[in-house]
Amino acid sequence: MENLMSVSRLTKSFKENKVLNDVSFDVHQGEVLCILGPNGAGKTTTINILTAALGSDVGEITYKGRPIGRQLRVYKQALGIVPQDLSLYEELSAEQNLSFFASLYGLYGSKLKNAVDGALVFAGLDDRRRDKVKNFSGGMKRRLNIACAIAHRPELVIMDEPTVGIDPQSRNYILDSIKKLRDEGMTVIYTTHYMEEVEVISSRIIIMDHGSIIAEGTKETLKEGIENEKKYTIDIEENGKISHDEFFAVEGVKSVKIEGNTIEITSLKGIENLDRIIALLSNRGEKIKNITSENASLETVFLKLTGRKLRD
Amino acid sequence: MRRFLSIFKMDLTNLFKSPVIVGYNTLFAALIILIMGFLTDGNYADSRDAFQYYAVTMLVYGMLNGAMTASNCFMERDIKRPNLRIIYSPAGSFPIWFSKILASFVFDIVLHVLLLAVLCPILHVTLGSNPLYFIALMAPVEFAAAALGTFFCCIFHCEETTSTLLSLTVSVLCILGGTFFSLDGLGPALAFISKLSPVKWLNEAFFTVACDHSLTLFWPVFLGATVVSVLLVLGCRLFFRTEDYL
Repeated sequence: MENLMSVSRLTKSFKENKVLNDVSFDVHQGEVLCILGPNGAGKTTTINILTAALGSDVGEITYKGRPIGRQLRVYKQALGIVPQDLSLYEELSAEQNLSFFASLYGLYGSKLKNAVDGALVFAGLDDRRRDKVKNFSGGMKRRLNIACAIAHRPELVIMDEPTVGIDPQSRNYILDSIKKLRDEGMTVIYTTHYMEEVEVISSRIIIMDHGSIIAEGTKETLKEGIENEKKYTIDIEENGKISHDEFFAVEGVKSVKIEGNTIEITSLKGIENLDRIIALLSNRGEKIKNITSENASLETVFLKLTGRKLRD
Repeated sequence: MRRFLSIFKMDLTNLFKSPVIVGYNTLFAALIILIMGFLTDGNYADSRDAFQYYAVTMLVYGMLNGAMTASNCFMERDIKRPNLRIIYSPAGSFPIWFSKILASFVFDIVLHVLLLAVLCPILHVTLGSNPLYFIALMAPVEFAAAALGTFFCCIFHCEETTSTLLSLTVSVLCILGGTFFSLDGLGPALAFISKLSPVKWLNEAFFTVACDHSLTLFWPVFLGATVVSVLLVLGCRLFFRTEDYL
């Protein structure tokens, strides 16, 4: 895929606190690039620098081969930004909001009207166009928040956690909309800390933690590294004094974590050892309440890379 | 220019849609003129009777409080968020703060002129032989106040802090300037302190235009307020940083 944007060696500190450290990545034309990371990973700071609203201490961003600082107006014209917080005039109607924000991108007259109509249809708010935003549900406001960013048909849409705090139906609607944007040829940069969203929409993923990129690739390549593992989570009624070593004696067991009455075991795939683990517990007189088994997911990728869960 | 006008129109609309700000600049101002005028009626000489005195001084007080209209228009939380999109747009950063100054100025001067148009005939308040001079003198003062509110926001990056500081500053200067009651009769020390307040000179300039039909203080105050406005606009340009909005 053609390279649309290159980010190289971004570093940013707020006073003594280094929030971005040598962040570099490319954005390809027509892809949905998901930036995944827990709160405080540096996602929003990265986005703020990408939107040219915040400067970096070190580093450069090029758009279509030219530094954005030398073509700021052209660059901003090509951008559509969905901020994390709802950025709408509550006292105005959906149509008035769209009309105002689209006019900032130089649209007027029939072009403006068409852009507003298209964005209202995109957001599924055509029948509520004259209603004040303050009367909308949270999901409707989120949809309008996105519509305001895409009304002028930008080449690159940057979305900073656009689904925070909404119901599952609205989330699905938004995720479907993003796929639609991708199919129409728009490039999307999407930050989130929801794994499920990344699984559904991403063309490529960047995982960030503590201001640095710790992994990059498609979901398939990221999972590849741990594809040969699976995880058992076993809940027992009362934990006697069963030791880690006893589990390691079972063939294929790679790691064991015992917390209270829950035992987490990572085992090599292809070695059917669950019956032996169950037998081990039965022989020790432990009563098993529940067993779950899961294959590699982005959550396990993140856990493996950082040693903690995404929402810890 | 089209983008700037669009932003200006939106800022102005937001101000006129805020019942609190509209009420503060009209009903509250009218009420305070009526109450103060009624309470002190008979304490003033003929040419500057109580209603005349408080119509002028409270108007000056209202004009200076226009700084808070600007700070509200610029960084009030519900306004700030959608304004973020202006930063992201190709409109650039200049229209963000300058349209707030301009919108606050237009908003305040329109409401204050309307207030005078209603109150003057009812309370027999005079604006001088040619009221246009009075209104012309209001313009740079209103603009300077709007620029001051925006400038404070650029410095303190927060509407609450700005409003608190402005409110305190304006109130102290107005008390010293004799807005609520004249300090001239309270001894030479207080009369001297009063003269240090710029509000005293603003009040005097408006009184000389309205009551004395004289322009002796018109030009110094007009030019002074214009210079202050220019300096504050330059200050906004210097201190406004887009990241303060994030």
